[in-house]
Amino acid sequence: MNALRGQLALWRLHLAVIVIGAIAEMIGIRKIPLGVGAILLLPLLYAFIMAAVMNPNLVPKFGKIIRQKEVQAASPLIVIAIMPFIAKFGTTIGPAINTIIAAGPALILQELGNLGTIVLAFPLAVWGLKMGREAIGATFSIAREPNLAIIADRYTLKSPEGTGVMGVYVIGTLFGTFIFAILASLFASANLFDPRALAMACGIGSGSMMAACTGALTEVIPSMKDEILALAGASNLLTYATGLYAGLFLALPIVEKLYDATAGKKDLAAASKKEG
Amino acid sequence: MSESAVATKSTRSKINLVDHAVTLIIVCLVGLVMNTVGPKIPLADGFMGMVVIYLITLVGLALTRFAPFYLPSVAWISLVGIVATLPWTPGSEWVVAQAKSVNFLALATPALAYAGFAIAKKEIEVAKHSGWKLVLVACFVFLGTYAGSVLVAELILRLQGV
Repeated sequence: MNALRGQLALWRLHLAVIVIGAIAEMIGIRKIPLGVGAILLLPLLYAFIMAAVMNPNLVPKFGKIIRQKEVQAASPLIVIAIMPFIAKFGTTIGPAINTIIAAGPALILQELGNLGTIVLAFPLAVWGLKMGREAIGATFSIAREPNLAIIADRYTLKSPEGTGVMGVYVIGTLFGTFIFAILASLFASANLFDPRALAMACGIGSGSMMAACTGALTEVIPSMKDEILALAGASNLLTYATGLYAGLFLALPIVEKLYDATAGKKDLAAASKKEG
Repeated sequence: MSESAVATKSTRSKINLVDHAVTLIIVCLVGLVMNTVGPKIPLADGFMGMVVIYLITLVGLALTRFAPFYLPSVAWISLVGIVATLPWTPGSEWVVAQAKSVNFLALATPALAYAGFAIAKKEIEVAKHSGWKLVLVACFVFLGTYAGSVLVAELILRLQGV
């Protein structure tokens, strides 16, 4: 029972999570009206903020309650803590299997919609902000672990491309849940889209992004809660299967070609000038 | 938040099932507190629901460890959850009824609290170093990916007329 002893030695961390989580749950879901729509604040967002404020790396004053030991132990615990959440999502998919099959083609093809990042973010990065090869790593994908692995494998994480993907990865880690809660709130209150389409798109990122996204959706459209959870969960499961390959064989080659055809020419010209 | 967990490597990690089983009990108990405080689900119902969720997770982990081919643990756990609740699986109605007593958002709250505590010095440095340009680009990456998926899904649903 070494594992038990190990976890009990981390009682400060678990106790802090219980206290913070309970406070977050008591505050509950809040709505901020915003023009036609509303932005939803979820307990998981407060929990993240409260924990970050108690993190000694952010607020050194708190170093006495939560120490580096707890910070290091917290990282693998995220993975374990998300497992029951994933299991719960699985149990919403089974009963809705007919809905999933009916929406099958949309569910599979919306994975291609992930290439929307190239349409939107690549022009901004390369032409708007004049970024260099960082733009390749930053804009080819939503920058979760498999995408990190692709860039690490091809360019290493110390290359400009690696800097780009790491930057978006860290920003996603720190602010991804907030961004997804806001995106889902705004899209849902726009009343333009089929809630099933909004739900499927919730599955494109990490588990916590999906939680924030579906949490906001089910709050705006409570009558479709079961369907929303099932479709988001199925889409997320599909992303596990296809995400790596779509990034490797589709998104990255497209971004590389785009870069070489546009900004890359300037790089080459600048390089030859220097040599000349 | 390293939980997005797609198959980043094809080598099997030899997970220690006993360690995971013990740690999961703690995590599930923490989740049960959230489930009782936030959505106000009666403790007895929530407890049974959490036992079912715990068992699904454990079976998923066992499959990750012993299955003849590799899938990430979250994919296995998800698949076990699906199979246990399919209409034609014996006893699935009972499993569905129990799992309904567990609120999905309440389970996400502790995961995000651990994530807040896990922020490392290096991540803060990367965020500071990246600057406002990369923050803006990241927002467009998320918006583009989400909007792209919504638009394609919407289009296909309309074409199908379902």
